[in-house]
Amino acid sequence: MSATETETATVTVDGREVQVPRGTGLVETAAAAGIEIPVFCYEPRLGPAVGACRMCLVEVEGVPKLQAGCTLTAQDGMVVRTAQSSAKAAEGQNATLEFILVNHPLDCPVCDKGGECPLQDLTFKYGPGQTRMTFPKRTFDKPIPISPAIALDRERCILCYRCTRFSSDVAEDGQLVARNRGAQSLITTFEDESYRAPFSGNVIELCPVGALTSTQYRFEARPWEIQNVPTVCGLCPVGCNISATTREGKVKRILSRNHPEVDQGWLCDKGRFAFPHLYAEDRIVDPLERERRRGFGERSWDDALDLAEALLRGAQGRIVTALSGSETLEQAYALGKLLRQGLGAHSAVLAEATSSALDAFRAPLSSIADAEIVVVVGEDEVADRAPIVELWIKQARRNGAEVVRLAEPKLGEELEQRVSSSERAILIWSGRGGGGGARLAELGHRLGLDEKPGCAAFHLPATPNGRGVTEAWAAAADGEEENPEPIGLLIVSGDEAASDPAVRALAEDAEHVLAITMFHGLAVGWADLVLPGTSYLERDGSFFNLEGRVQRLRRTVIPPVPDELAWIAKLAERFGVELSPHASVVFSELSEKLYGGMSYGEVGERASLPDRATYTAPTPAPVAPIPPAEAPPGDHFLGTLKLRRYRPLFSGSAVERVAELQFQRPEPVIELAAADAERRQIASGEIVSVRSNGTSVQLRASISRLLAAGTARIAEEHAADLHRDIEVVKP
Amino acid sequence: MSTLYDEIQEVRALYPVSRSATLPALRLAQERYGWLSEEAFREVAKALDETPAYCMAVASFYDMYHLKPVGRHLVEVCTNIPCALVGAQQVLEAFESELGVRAGETTEDGEVTLRTVECAGGCGWGTVVAVDHRYRERLTAGDVPAIVEGIRSEAGNAS
Amino acid sequence: MPAEQFLVLAGAEGGRLLTKLADYRAVGGFEALAKARTMEPAQVVQEILDSGLRGRGGAFFPTGRKASFLAQGTGKPTYLVVNADESEPGTFKDREIMFTVPHRLIEGCLITAHAIGSDRVFIYIRGEYLHEFEVIKAALEEVHGANLLGGVTIVLHRGAGAYICGEETALLESLEGKRGQPRTKPPFPAVAGLYASPSLINNVETIATVPKILELGAKEYAKIGVPPDSSGTRVFSLSGNVVNGGNYELPMGVTLRELIYDVGGGIPNGRELKAVIPGGSSVPVLTARQIDVPLDAGSMAEAGSMLGSGAIVVIDDRCCMVQLGLRVAQFYMHESCGKCTPCREGTRWMVQILESIEAGTASEGDLDLLLDVCDRILGKCLCPLGDAAAMPVASYIDKFRAEFRDHLDGGCPMQGESSLENVLAPVDQHTHDPVAEVPA
Repeated sequence: MSATETETATVTVDGREVQVPRGTGLVETAAAAGIEIPVFCYEPRLGPAVGACRMCLVEVEGVPKLQAGCTLTAQDGMVVRTAQSSAKAAEGQNATLEFILVNHPLDCPVCDKGGECPLQDLTFKYGPGQTRMTFPKRTFDKPIPISPAIALDRERCILCYRCTRFSSDVAEDGQLVARNRGAQSLITTFEDESYRAPFSGNVIELCPVGALTSTQYRFEARPWEIQNVPTVCGLCPVGCNISATTREGKVKRILSRNHPEVDQGWLCDKGRFAFPHLYAEDRIVDPLERERRRGFGERSWDDALDLAEALLRGAQGRIVTALSGSETLEQAYALGKLLRQGLGAHSAVLAEATSSALDAFRAPLSSIADAEIVVVVGEDEVADRAPIVELWIKQARRNGAEVVRLAEPKLGEELEQRVSSSERAILIWSGRGGGGGARLAELGHRLGLDEKPGCAAFHLPATPNGRGVTEAWAAAADGEEENPEPIGLLIVSGDEAASDPAVRALAEDAEHVLAITMFHGLAVGWADLVLPGTSYLERDGSFFNLEGRVQRLRRTVIPPVPDELAWIAKLAERFGVELSPHASVVFSELSEKLYGGMSYGEVGERASLPDRATYTAPTPAPVAPIPPAEAPPGDHFLGTLKLRRYRPLFSGSAVERVAELQFQRPEPVIELAAADAERRQIASGEIVSVRSNGTSVQLRASISRLLAAGTARIAEEHAADLHRDIEVVKP
Repeated sequence: MSTLYDEIQEVRALYPVSRSATLPALRLAQERYGWLSEEAFREVAKALDETPAYCMAVASFYDMYHLKPVGRHLVEVCTNIPCALVGAQQVLEAFESELGVRAGETTEDGEVTLRTVECAGGCGWGTVVAVDHRYRERLTAGDVPAIVEGIRSEAGNAS
Repeated sequence: MPAEQFLVLAGAEGGRLLTKLADYRAVGGFEALAKARTMEPAQVVQEILDSGLRGRGGAFFPTGRKASFLAQGTGKPTYLVVNADESEPGTFKDREIMFTVPHRLIEGCLITAHAIGSDRVFIYIRGEYLHEFEVIKAALEEVHGANLLGGVTIVLHRGAGAYICGEETALLESLEGKRGQPRTKPPFPAVAGLYASPSLINNVETIATVPKILELGAKEYAKIGVPPDSSGTRVFSLSGNVVNGGNYELPMGVTLRELIYDVGGGIPNGRELKAVIPGGSSVPVLTARQIDVPLDAGSMAEAGSMLGSGAIVVIDDRCCMVQLGLRVAQFYMHESCGKCTPCREGTRWMVQILESIEAGTASEGDLDLLLDVCDRILGKCLCPLGDAAAMPVASYIDKFRAEFRDHLDGGCPMQGESSLENVLAPVDQHTHDPVAEVPA
C-alpha cells in the first residue's frame, strides 16, 4: 500500500471530529463519527458513487452549494454539516424526499417492502409529513413480471438506478436497463423478455423501495412476523452467507448476508430462489420400502431402522457407500463412523477427487478482485461450478486485471512467465480432471504462487462440500478400503449420488440398495429402502468451502422428517458405536482430527479463513489426470466424439422443483469444438442428432471456443442415456 | 452493398473504445430500415457486442431515433420559444391541415410524419422547420402548402 | 451604432461562406497554426491564459485555466473534445460558425491539440446539424488532403437529439456510446474525462477564437471588450420579436439596447418590448427597463442575470409570461435526463403547476408553491439543467408576479391573443412510451 492511501484525514462532521484514512467515503466517514448520511442510490459495491438521488445532500465548509455526500471522500480538515446540524442540508434532504414522493403511490399498506423499506424509514426521519402534490401522478401498468421470479412496480420506482447499475456494472449481463429520458424514464428489459441471467435476484435486495420484489415472497409475510436465520447456502462450493427468512416454520425467502471475503453480499439465483424445493410435492416424508406389486410402501421409522439394520448386517461388511458431496461434515463423519467403525465397511464412492495440496495457495475469494492477472483453466463455465467466483473475476477485469481462459492447463511459456513474475496472479481450475486441485497445486507451485501472499489458486469443485465430506469420512475411522465383489449393500447418500449414472450402474450389480434422498423420483423403484433426506436449509452442521473455510449451516426450519444425524446416531447405537445426534458434539469430535479442535463458537457467523499451509506435493499422484486431448479424428466424417457431461448452474433436483426457476434452465444444446462442427458442416444453432449405443437425442448445436477438438459437452439432464462415445450428425 | 454489420465494424474502428460507436451504429440501422425495430436492435447489438437491451436503452434516450415506424419523410417544426414567438404554432397548424394529421402522427399513406421538436438552432431565422433533416428557415404559415406539395411530388416521383 | 468586429467570423462578412480551404487561407487561415507549432505547447497555453478567453458555451470558465488543469503523466492519452452540441434555446451561433468558417474551428482544434499535447480530437456535433456536419466533414477532408493535421486525428461524432449532451460530462457519456446522463464531479474531465483519460472540453466558439488570439497576440486580444473578465468578442444570437434576427459578432460590453435596436432594428409590427432573455432560455429574464445593461459578465451579474451562451431572445408585449414559463418548463422537463431526483421530478411538477395557473385553476398558494419548487430544485441537482429550469421560471414570477396573479381567476388575461397561446411542446406530443395518467 502506498503512503497516500494510509494517510489519515481528520474530518469534522456535525462538530464531531473523526479520523479516517484519507479517501474514505464521506458516508462511511460520517458513520464512523456515529452520524447517518441517508442514501438511496449510493451502494459502494456497484462501483463509484453516481450522486443521482440527492438524498445525501450535506453542507461542506467552503463550498457554497449543497454537495452530494456520497460522492465525496474524506480530506484532511474537511468540515461537514449534515441535516442534523445544518438547516440548509435538512431542507435539501426534505426537498429530495418531497420530490421522490410526488410520484410515489404511497401504497405502503400493500407493499411487500413495507416495514423494511429505506424510503419509509428515511421519509419518517427526514421527509415532509404531508404532500403538496395535487396533480395526477405518473402511473404505469403494475406489477410487471420482469421474470418469473421478479416483479417490477414502476410507480414505486424512485429511479435510483441501483438495479441497472448492478446489471451493467456488476453482473455485466446488460439486460436490465433504463428506457426513455427524464420523467418518462422507466426500468425495463428488452421487449419485455425475462431478465434471464444468473444473478438477477440481487436487484430485489438492492432496490431501496418496493419496486423490485420477489414473486416468491409476494404477500407472504410482514417484517414483524418473520425470523431471519443466519446460515450458508449449500448448493455450490462457495457457500455464500445467507439469511433464511422464515414465517411460521416455513422458509419464505433467502437473503444475502454479506461476507466481504466470500460473496460480497451477492447471491446467484439458484441460491436465492431454490428454497421452495423444501415444499416439493414429491418430497419423501416417510421411509419407503420396495414392494413387489405397488413398487413401494411407507414404513414407520422404527420399522425402517430395523430394516436398515438388517440390510447392514446382512451385507456382512460387503458395503459400499456412495457419497454426494452435499452432506454436512457432521453427517459424513457420522455415516463414516457408523459404517467404518461399526461395520468395518470402509469402501466409499466419493463425489469427486480432492487434494489438500491447495492449502498452500489459500486466500479469500476477494483476493481475486485485486489480481492483475487471472488464468481460468477448464472447459466448464465458472458460473456453473461456483457462480459467485464469476462475479469476482468480472470485478477483477473491471479493476484492470487481464483474464485468460484456457480449456487445458497449458499456459505456454510467455503466460507462465507473466504469472510467475506477478505479485497478484490468480489461477482458477474450472473443469474436470484436476485431481481435486492437485494438478492446479503443482502448477501453482511451479510458478511460485505459494510464495506470494497476493497470489492464489482456486479449484472449483463439482460438489458443495466434496472435500469436507471426503476428509470427514476419512477421519471417522482407520481402515483399508477394499472393493467388495459382489456388493452386498450399496448405500446411496443424497440426491446427487442417486442421480449419478455411475452410482446407478453400481446399484444394478449390488444385492441391496439403501438410499437417502429427498425426492421420490430419484431412488424409489430401485432402492430396497429409501430413507427421507433433508435439505441444507434444514440441517445443523458445517461445510468446508472451496477456499478452505469451515462455515456453519443452521437449521432454519424444522424438517418434516428426522434429520440424518438423528437416525444415524440411533443406528450407530445398535452397532455399539458411540455417536451423538447433536451436530455440535459431532463437530467437536471431527474438529479435533481435522481442524485443530475449532468449535462452532470459533466458526462464528462469518467464518474466517485459516492461514496458508506449507506446500507439500500431492500424494498420491493426481487420481484422475486430465486425458490428453485426442488428435482430431482425421478425415473420418462421422467419427465419434468424447462426451463431456456437465451440470449447468440451473440444474439439479432442487432447481427442477422450483417453478420460478424453470425459465432459467438450460436449453437442450450440444457444444461442439469449432473444428468438429466445421468437419460436419454444422452451424451454430442448427439442430443435430446425437447418437450412441442405440439411443439418440436431438439437440441444438453451439460452437464453443474453449472446447478441445474431439470432445462435445452436453448438460447432464440432456445427455440422458448417452454413452461416452457419441456420433453427431445432421438429421 | 455492404452489410450493416460491416458498416458498424468500420465505425467501431474510429474509436479507442468501440462502445463509442453505439450512436452511429443506431443511426446506420435507422437509415437502413427507417426506424429501430426489435430486429434492428438485435442486429446492431450483435455488431457492437452489446445486448439488445443496452442498444434500446441508449436509443430511447435520444429524440432522433425512432422506436416506432415513421413516414418516409419527416417534417419537424421547432416550437421552442424563439420560433413560437414568431408564429411556429401557426406554421405547425398549417402543416397539420395540409397533411391532414396531428403533430406526432403519420399520414395514412405512410409518406409523411409530422412532429414538433425542441429548439433546432435557427432561432433568429424562425420559424425553423426541418424537412428530412434539411432546415427551412423564416417560414410562415403561408409557406407551408408549397413545402407540402414539394414533399408530395417528391414522394410521387419516388414511387 | 456599435460596429461588428469580425474575429471568429472574420472573412465571413456580409454572409460570405468561407468553406473552401483556399478561401480560408486567402484571409490568413492556418497561419496561426503554423505559428503555434513553432511554439512550445506551454507557451500556447500561456497565450490563451493571457488572452482572458473564457468559455463561450455558457459557463464562462477561463479557457487557459481549464487547459492547465489537465492531468499530466497519467500514462493515458489526452483528448480534446469540442462541444458542438449547441442546443440552448435561442442559441445558433456555433451553427453559423460551423457553416461559414469551418476551417477556423479545425484550425482552433489543431492549435489547442498542440497546446495540450493531444493527437486525438473529437467534435461532438449536434445530431440535427446535418448540413453543418457535412460542411465540417468536407473541410476536414480538405485539411487532411493539405497535410495540415500534423498527425492529429479529428473524429466527427454526431449526437442524436438530447439537449443534455451539451453538458460536458453528459457529452462524454454520449461520446462513449451511453445514455447522455451527466457524471458527478469530481473527478473532473481534466483528470478523468473521455475514456477516463484527461480531457479538455471546449465550445465551438471558444475553439474558433483561438486562431485569432494567436494571430493578434494575447495582449491585443485581451484589450477587446471589457477586460479583464470579459475580454474579446461574442457571437451574439439575436432572436424572437426583433426585426433583424441573426448572429452578430460584437465586442463584449455592447448594451442590450444597442443590440436590439441599433443592430437588430428594434421590435417589429409596432409592438412594445416586454422582456429580454439575455443568455439563452436558462437565464433569468430582464424587463424592458433593464436593457441598458452592457453585455459583459460583471454587468449581467449585477442585473441579476447571466450572459450564458450569448443568446438574446427578444419578447414583445403579446407574450404571456405564464405561457413563457410553461414553455420553458416544458422544454426542461423534456430534456431532463432523469438521473437526479429534483430535476426529473421537479420539472414535471413545475409544468403541472404552470398548466394549472395558465388554465385558471390555481390559487395564490400555488404561485408560492411554484416558487418553492423552483427553490427546492435550485442548487440541489447533479448538473446545471435543474437550475436552468428553475432560475428563469422563478424570475418570471418574480418580475411579472402581477401577470401571474391575473391568471388565478379565470386564466390567461390575454384571452387567446398571446403569441405563445397553445404552442404544442414536444413533451406533450412525442414520447417514446406514452404514459397513461389517472387522477391523483
